Amino acid sequence: MRVKLCALLAIAMTLGMATPSATAQGPVILKVAIVQQIDSMNPFLAVFQSSTEINRLMYDYLTAYAADDQRVTEGLANRWEPSPDKLTWTFTVPEGKKWSDGQLVTAHDVAFTYNLMLNDEVARTANGSFVTNFASVAAPDDRTVVIRTKAPQVTMLALDIPIVPRHVWEKVPSIKDYANDRMPVVGSGPFVLTDHVAGQFIKLKANKNYWRGPAKYDELHFVYFQNSDAAVQALTKGEIDLVNRMAPAQFDSLGDKPGVTRNKAQGRRFVELLINPGAQTRTGEPIGDGHAALKDVRVRRALAQAIDLDALVQRVSLGYAEKGAGLVPPVFGKWHWQPGEQELRKFDPAAANAALDAAGHPRKADGTRFGLRLVGRAGRAYDEQASEYLKRQLGDIGIPLDVRLVSDNQLNEATTVATYDLAFSGWATNVDPDFVLGLHTCAQRPGADGKGGTSDAYFCDATYDQLYARQLSEFDEGKRVEIVKQMQARFYDQVPAVVLAYENALEAYRSDRFARFTTQPAQGGVIMAQNGMWGYYGAEPAGRAAPPSSRGPALAIGGLVLLALVVVGVVVARRRKATAGERE
Amino acid sequence: MRLGVRLWGRLGGAALSLVMVAVLGFFLFRVVPGDPVVSMTRGRPTTAAMQAELRTQFGLDRPLHEQFWNYLTSLLRGDLGTSFTFRRPVSEVILERLGPTLLLVGTSTVIAVGLGLWLGVRAAWRRDSAFDRAATGVSLTLWAVPTFWLGMLLMMATGDLFPSRGMRDTDTAPDFVSQALDVGHHLVLPSLTLVAVVCAEYMLVMRSSLLEEMHAPYLTTARAKGLRDDLVRRRHAVPNAVLPAITLVFLRFGLVVAGAITTETVFSWPGLGLLFYDALTGPDYFLLQGLLVVTAGAVVVMNLLAELLYGVLDPRVKVV
Amino acid sequence: MSGFLTRGTGRGGKTGFLAHRAGVAGAAVLAVAALVAVIAPLLIPADALDVTRVTAAPWQSPGADHWLGTDHTGRSVALLVAQGAGTSLFVGLTAAVLAVGIGTLVGIVSGHFGGLLAGALLRVTDFFLVLPALVLAIALSTVLPRGLGTIVLAIGLTSWPSTARMVRAQTLTIEARPFVERARALGGGHGHVIGRHVLPSVVPLVLVNATLAVASAIVAESTLAFLGLGDPTRISWGAMLHQAQLHGAVPQRAWWFLLPPGVAIVVVVLAFTLVGRALEAVVTPKR
Repeated sequence: MRVKLCALLAIAMTLGMATPSATAQGPVILKVAIVQQIDSMNPFLAVFQSSTEINRLMYDYLTAYAADDQRVTEGLANRWEPSPDKLTWTFTVPEGKKWSDGQLVTAHDVAFTYNLMLNDEVARTANGSFVTNFASVAAPDDRTVVIRTKAPQVTMLALDIPIVPRHVWEKVPSIKDYANDRMPVVGSGPFVLTDHVAGQFIKLKANKNYWRGPAKYDELHFVYFQNSDAAVQALTKGEIDLVNRMAPAQFDSLGDKPGVTRNKAQGRRFVELLINPGAQTRTGEPIGDGHAALKDVRVRRALAQAIDLDALVQRVSLGYAEKGAGLVPPVFGKWHWQPGEQELRKFDPAAANAALDAAGHPRKADGTRFGLRLVGRAGRAYDEQASEYLKRQLGDIGIPLDVRLVSDNQLNEATTVATYDLAFSGWATNVDPDFVLGLHTCAQRPGADGKGGTSDAYFCDATYDQLYARQLSEFDEGKRVEIVKQMQARFYDQVPAVVLAYENALEAYRSDRFARFTTQPAQGGVIMAQNGMWGYYGAEPAGRAAPPSSRGPALAIGGLVLLALVVVGVVVARRRKATAGERE
Repeated sequence: MRLGVRLWGRLGGAALSLVMVAVLGFFLFRVVPGDPVVSMTRGRPTTAAMQAELRTQFGLDRPLHEQFWNYLTSLLRGDLGTSFTFRRPVSEVILERLGPTLLLVGTSTVIAVGLGLWLGVRAAWRRDSAFDRAATGVSLTLWAVPTFWLGMLLMMATGDLFPSRGMRDTDTAPDFVSQALDVGHHLVLPSLTLVAVVCAEYMLVMRSSLLEEMHAPYLTTARAKGLRDDLVRRRHAVPNAVLPAITLVFLRFGLVVAGAITTETVFSWPGLGLLFYDALTGPDYFLLQGLLVVTAGAVVVMNLLAELLYGVLDPRVKVV
Repeated sequence: MSGFLTRGTGRGGKTGFLAHRAGVAGAAVLAVAALVAVIAPLLIPADALDVTRVTAAPWQSPGADHWLGTDHTGRSVALLVAQGAGTSLFVGLTAAVLAVGIGTLVGIVSGHFGGLLAGALLRVTDFFLVLPALVLAIALSTVLPRGLGTIVLAIGLTSWPSTARMVRAQTLTIEARPFVERARALGGGHGHVIGRHVLPSVVPLVLVNATLAVASAIVAESTLAFLGLGDPTRISWGAMLHQAQLHGAVPQRAWWFLLPPGVAIVVVVLAFTLVGRALEAVVTPKR
């Protein structure tokens, strides 16, 4: 029985040696590793970053962000015009853009998508925040979309909402139950979804109807990996072509690999250390159990001063990060803020010690002042390592830390009900700074039941809130930039959180298979996780040269091993048969 | 008559276990603090109204006893709730991942049982021989090896010989032979890992089972009749000793489940074990709860089968 | 104890624990491991394991300075393995004691008292016996706060049933013996019967069981730590493997970071198993 099984396996394997494993004339495929799960392919429900990135490939937005400098550029609409009172916006959808099934894209598709979100609560699940200020959306003709807003809104050109084809989606009975898996999925983006097996892969084909022209290769595959470690290994073996979100050590390990090119890019994420400033709900009730001393801004400033940001960048991020300052990362050049000579808090434990003494927290007999809890996420490499440094640096000024590394859920629970003193957090920012700035307004604090908040810093500052309201209705960009910088300066001064670092996005690709990728922005930009689809769309194959296929010899070896097993099995079986014959 | 009573007793016991599994599944994951909706929407522009909507969608706004009642009644209909991560019914998600796990666990169990039992018989029959010592030594060592570590070592040692992840490549030709070969190629390392660990257990079980059998008087009789040693082993001792060993195989099913979780995690094998690991990061409580209920339920059923089988095959056993 | 050591039949007709060479070797290994676990924290300077103070380069392969190389932060792998022995052994021992303690209690109570209580206990034992222990341990460590206590609890609470089964069987056997019946007839209460007759006969078996339980608890700890459910602020062998995976030891081909903690686990677990098997051979009478 067992012998037969072995034989079958081996025959299958030797057959495998005979069949050529890599066909010479196959389609050109870009294979990309993804580590995060896909929650849904339905763009109205998809919340995870991985899902929204794939949605971006399938569907255009009304406007897009240019690859080279992230300025607003043509999406489905190519012209737009606000009314003088800034309450009515008119977008023009030009003729000639087609859905992947050949039907024409019209203004009615746009109006349908937005109205679906206005009318159906479930359709607002993923991107509802973009339409809360909408009064009405209409399409008077095939080319024109008219959006009326309740109040002037500067972010009207940053509506990150995938536009879906009306002729497909008007037949969907329930958005909630629609998985959007009728392959191929009709879209307007550079790629068409053709196959999706959960936990294994996602396959897309280049959209031949794409209005910018089809991509320079045939298929785009996303291959699921359970961790970035496995993905990096697959890249070195040539099983995949593109990897991102690598740990610094993994990035370093690829330095001398032939055929692999690394891309160290400015990321759009920052990591921060929250300092519970005496958390309150939206109605001003105290919530949680943060340490009372932290309500004093002098204490918070002293803590910030005792943290050596350079050491964190060098030792935790191995240099692959930039020192933190304002809330907007340097990749968004004009919005980014750096403290001036006056405002800058230099790393100075002596000054921090003096400040704490002055604030009425002298060292006790054992050399400590008061202890604090630091909450971080277990399994996140940054938290695990940075907590060691913070423990030492704050310990040096007499504040021993009780480090608690917990699950994602427990960390969120601690920050939403404010049962922390210090906590790690971090946000990814968008091209328009409105979201990350809005996070820290009083209105984002939770309601009386501790629910409904999106802020985790519990910052509530009248000056900051006034500035926030002003920038939201400031249509002169130069002036708006100034206000945004003032807000960041205020945040830095009041220290509800210390921005620790802007981590680099670490990516690598098989340059022996793909010669070039379009980064965003052009200088020091990312390939994956862009505000757009340029990285995948602009990839150029490195000619039809033989791909590095180590699979041929590998299969042969596997086959040989099994062949050997079969021989042994057959010999044993024969011997047994022989003895049996002798007996009977 | 008495057999019938015992049978019903067994069935009742298993049913009670299943109910206990269901209750445990609910309370273990529902009484923990934390608002899953916050985790789901973290890092994105979200309004309070959107959060409330999600909470309603998942039934998290109801009182606990109502949630429990809903859970129980849905469970009877085979409905395990909705996964936070996948936005789909947990039962659907689990069903989708069942195939790869059955393939991996099935292949490994067949090989491990065959190899383990054979090694066990050889070792026991020539007790204290060099073969016995080597086989027992290796088995005991393998038993001490953490599964995931063995997987990582194999991966590092084989280098480029085998694919490092998953069940198949995305660019393999769609015909059946190419697909089957591709899956076979991917299957080698994970099944080797699982076989190594599980096989050791079976070998030790078979060895001790046969050793006990070998003291039985009927074997002495058989030998006294002048039957050849080999024949005594094959015709008399092994059939009697294999039975308890095989039922033990079923009883140790939980071991295989545990092995599958870590093996699938190391090799990104897209089965239930990997799903379990993925559900931990979050954590996705509804999915974890469903997985716990399903795996524990499967183990309970396997055990029941093993006990029934044991009773049917071996009339000496009075347990049934 | 010396009687215990020399009683029983070992391989080749020799007698006692000392006759089981593998068991003796295992015991020797354990003695060394225990010594390392106790001495390491005393001898290793705190700075050498503090990631904020180490000066060596990360990912060094074994050499003269660090004879097992360095990890992703530049700490010596050799020192980490030595330091990790304490945590791994501590978790293994306490979890085993917890499991065997619960098991013994449940076993004796259900064996001695009988009735409804025994029935219920037996039912619960059977229930936990079939549940996949690792799955349950994972579930427990997900919902409880991270820490050493959680790991111990998760392993201890899920691995007691086999002990309970065995102790119950032994209790029933002993209580059926004539001398126990006589003791009962002479007016010996529950305490007397359990304390004077049941316990002494159960202890050797429990000892064997505990030894084997430590072995599986250490493996369980490493598995939980690998899955990211361990106490990340403490160094244990499992936590080291978790770090190795998290920071990319396999693609780096950093075998020196992957091999030592794993080998340490295997050696210690094997040693506990060998000792347990030798003890088992000594205490269970041969047919």
